[in-house]
Amino acid sequence: MSELPVASMRTVRARARRLALAHPRELAVVVALYALGAASGLAGPWLIGRLVEDVTRGVDDVSLVTALICGFIVAQALLTGLGMYAAARLGEKVLARLREEFVTDVLALPLGTVERAGTGDLITRTTRDVDLLARAVRYAIPETLISTLTIALTLGGLVIIGPLLALPCLVAVPTLWAATRWYLARAHAGYLRENASYSQIAEGLSETVDGARTVEALRLGDRRFERVNRDIAASYAAERYTLRLRTVYLPTIDTSFVLPVVATLVIGGLFYLEGMVSLAAVTTATLYTQQLLVPIDMLLFWMNELQIGGAALARLLGVRRDGGGAGDDGSDRPRPRADAVVGADPGRGVQVHGVSYAYRDGRDVLRGVDLAIAPGERLAIVGPSGAGKSTLGKLLAGVHPPRAGTVTVDGVAVGDLPLDRLRSSVALVTQEHHVFRGTVRDNVVLGRPAADDDAVEQALRAVDAWGWASALGLGTAVGSGGVELSPAQAQQLALARLVLVDPHTLVLDEATSLLDPRAARHLERSLAAVLAGRTVIAIAHRLHTAHDADRVAVMDDGRIVELGSHDELVAAGGAYAALWRSWHGDHSG
Amino acid sequence: MRPFPDPDPGRPDRLTPGRYLFWLTRLEIGVVLLGAFYGCLWPVAQALVPYAVGRAIDDGLAARDRSDLLLWGGIVLALGLVQAASGILQDRCALANALGARYRTLQLVTRQAARLGATLPRRVSAGEVMSVGVSDVTQIGRALEISSRGIGSAVTIVVIATIMLEASWQLGLVVLAGVPVMVWALSLLLRPLIDRQSRLRDQQSELTSRAVDIVGGLRVLRGIGGEEMFAGRYREESQRVRHAGVQVARVESLLESTRMLLPGLLVALVVFLGARYVLDGDLTGGQLVAFYGYAVFLAVPVRRISIAAGVVMKAHVAARRVVDLLALEPELASGPKRLEAAASDLHDPASGLVVDGGRFTAVACSRPADADAVADRLGRYTDSDVTYGEQPIRDLDLDDVRRHVLVVSNDARLFAGALRDELDPAGRADDHRLDRTVDVASGADILEALPDGLDTEIAPDGREFSGGQRQRLRLARALTVDPEVLVLVEPTSAVDAHTEARIAERLAAERTGRTTVVFSTSPILLDHADRVVLVDAGKAVATGTHAELMGDERYRALVAREEGEA
Repeated sequence: MSELPVASMRTVRARARRLALAHPRELAVVVALYALGAASGLAGPWLIGRLVEDVTRGVDDVSLVTALICGFIVAQALLTGLGMYAAARLGEKVLARLREEFVTDVLALPLGTVERAGTGDLITRTTRDVDLLARAVRYAIPETLISTLTIALTLGGLVIIGPLLALPCLVAVPTLWAATRWYLARAHAGYLRENASYSQIAEGLSETVDGARTVEALRLGDRRFERVNRDIAASYAAERYTLRLRTVYLPTIDTSFVLPVVATLVIGGLFYLEGMVSLAAVTTATLYTQQLLVPIDMLLFWMNELQIGGAALARLLGVRRDGGGAGDDGSDRPRPRADAVVGADPGRGVQVHGVSYAYRDGRDVLRGVDLAIAPGERLAIVGPSGAGKSTLGKLLAGVHPPRAGTVTVDGVAVGDLPLDRLRSSVALVTQEHHVFRGTVRDNVVLGRPAADDDAVEQALRAVDAWGWASALGLGTAVGSGGVELSPAQAQQLALARLVLVDPHTLVLDEATSLLDPRAARHLERSLAAVLAGRTVIAIAHRLHTAHDADRVAVMDDGRIVELGSHDELVAAGGAYAALWRSWHGDHSG
Repeated sequence: MRPFPDPDPGRPDRLTPGRYLFWLTRLEIGVVLLGAFYGCLWPVAQALVPYAVGRAIDDGLAARDRSDLLLWGGIVLALGLVQAASGILQDRCALANALGARYRTLQLVTRQAARLGATLPRRVSAGEVMSVGVSDVTQIGRALEISSRGIGSAVTIVVIATIMLEASWQLGLVVLAGVPVMVWALSLLLRPLIDRQSRLRDQQSELTSRAVDIVGGLRVLRGIGGEEMFAGRYREESQRVRHAGVQVARVESLLESTRMLLPGLLVALVVFLGARYVLDGDLTGGQLVAFYGYAVFLAVPVRRISIAAGVVMKAHVAARRVVDLLALEPELASGPKRLEAAASDLHDPASGLVVDGGRFTAVACSRPADADAVADRLGRYTDSDVTYGEQPIRDLDLDDVRRHVLVVSNDARLFAGALRDELDPAGRADDHRLDRTVDVASGADILEALPDGLDTEIAPDGREFSGGQRQRLRLARALTVDPEVLVLVEPTSAVDAHTEARIAERLAAERTGRTTVVFSTSPILLDHADRVVLVDAGKAVATGTHAELMGDERYRALVAREEGEA
């Protein structure tokens, strides 16, 4: 399946930099705490070096030096702990923000992009990638900083003891540099692939879980098992690739580490034997070099984690408009937020001019549709399945922008309406029913969060749902993990939601198809009373709806082929008349 | 490394978290032990470095012996190489262990979800299963990943203590006694950490469930502009997770400080005592340096053991969720009797509905919920007194029932993949057959519009198709499966009258000689049935052909599409 977009390396770096600089004070505190902690850690070897020299000479300052060592150990432990806490606080703050921005951005993505990517990719990004990034932010960034600082301070210490003794360390530089360059060039892509493979696994599992009943009915168990095995094989291949990279890289690095210790010991030792440096200096230098191993090892280990975190961040940022991620249907154009719209004229209704639309290039599902709907009119759209009715409905509601032509509401192109204005003007309820995780009330007030219980009750009454809803209780949890509602109840909730939003134009796409015909017709009429004066565009297969409408538009193969009132069209004896006869079970026509 | 996935993940023997982790470990025991071997080799080589450095200082420098200096320098280098090799080998084993556990658990969870089938959504939320599949499997993998490192660390501590004992039994004893005390003290902090972590885990799972809602609900949100409120709720939940995360960090930082402090103080004690021995002439300067090195070095294995303990505890929490899921049993028990293939009547005593074997029966229910309830009973998705032939359906083998009776409602799902595989779950039909069933479902136009026809990869749940298109694809799939008994619930509710008429006509012909039950209130479909049953308030009240029943007031009120008041 096509995944959600992934941000480029450059965007990731730029964003990471901006994130780091967004909280300069907090970051400075973290770095300062860690730096002081690391500096305290350096006192140990130095004090030991002195102690060794003193005690071999028979000078007894053991208690004093030990007390000093203890002091520095306590300081190091405290400072590091505090640093870690500060880093975690900062990290959680940044992560929560990234996660929230991700969701906000996903909510603004083209519908097709999100739906094709599916649940697995989304969940993997909001959980696994955020976790990986959390690791990077909480541990990798401070650890990298602290390691770099420790290395700098240790090298500084080495130079102070004797510049000569710092030279042997340089033997490690060429291999470290070359190996790290080689590795970093490949790691990012490798980890991206790894993360994507986990999205696939999650997607497969999500399908199995959501379709569990179908799996049982069609005895698809083996097939779902094959699917997880295929996904596992892909994930394993991705894991093996990064493992191969590490198998080359890590031993090279490890070997590079031991060289400076040996060099300092042997070369420093030779210097000492030549009388060029003191015994204490060689001892301290060797200890320092040895001590360098840990921070360098840490630095490289955490740089690897930063790679992983970078890959995760790329996936989180990929959905941003400025993140280098592109949508699939050109609706990336930002929607104006402010009330920057001029020329709105409530008297002009909905106008459709020469509208074409394609989900896939070259396959238009709408071909040059023209339609004018007067304010307050009730228009029904009928026609064969696949004729483009639902697509037209989505275009009318501004869910998709037209490929060619214009859709205007009150004289303003729907694409130019700010989101809040658009929804108070046109709203859409489709045949897809979805109950959100939350209470019954939450589900109803989704489009108007400020609505009070009275308004909620009115809305539920308008869609004949007050009976079961009040019995259940407005505060009852529904949706995944809560009380399971029937599809018909879910449709009623969707309509109640719409009543509460109260837009002047409503697009109802098979919005009552899951209710039984009598209940549906009753609901439609009670709804009509509440919606008096509103423009209603109803897409329906049940021709009651068409019969009750002011005008009927018949669509076929992406075009409007007939338009007129029910009586006119029946009298005309065309496509609608045939449909009408057929709908009554009259197969003479 | 051995290949994954394992074709058969096996079956955990007993479903408790501890046993489950043990079971996973046992399956990978070879690699775990090999990893432990490298895990020992690595720190031992590292532990010997201070010793070699000490000898280089004592024998080479203090004694001014160039060849000893070179000898011990060479040994330090050799130890470094051993470390590099054993390090990566251990990493490879650790990864194999982690992946083995993770993949195996995923296989078990998938198999269990498929086994539970219709029971699954009634017993556990989708978000919870996804949390298990995404987070908990990773956590369990980490426990196996760290196992060899943990064993290696324990061995290292023993080795270091032995070396120290040999050089100075007093200092060796201090270390031997000090380490268990440290590990014990650290483990005291682990419990509150794990508690907070599992609280965090619960909140993350809630947040995951919210994210799951996006894909399913985005169409709805787009339609009415609920994005902002949804984002607002997500933000609230996300902030709760953030605060829980900070709570965890508080304990973690304390633990981290203690992990530094305790080994540090042990080092100070060793140095203090060692320096005294040097003053007394019992120890050399080089030995003291080496002792210092050992003691500093000990911090690493102690830390690792403490970390490993934390990881195992977390994995235990994760394993509990896994075994809880694996322990669920399908609500329906399979009966002992096999089902012989014969066109038999189905009888549902609860409603009084009788379905004739081999014929096309339509059922018009006055309440939609009745249609689902009766269909569920006929297909044995709930237990009832339904009989198939003369046999109570609940006495029959459940798999046989699923093979013979297929219930298709509008909740049936399409899966991602090639459309061909989707339409032909058993993989037995050829193109000709598929074209025919698609044609019966009046879906030829859907295939034509697809770039690669039957080989087109479709999105999860066929989301790119309209409701009517999906409904026709589901019907085509059911017809390809060609079960003895096909129960369809409102199979044409989302298609237009023309299409419905075509489907009704072709469906009756296609299913000739096989049992078909259609729940619908559409006169177009009802008119094509051999027999129509009217179910009012849950009871079968009238039977006849569509034309005959039109004389019944209740029936006409339900199905007739009159222009007046409904």
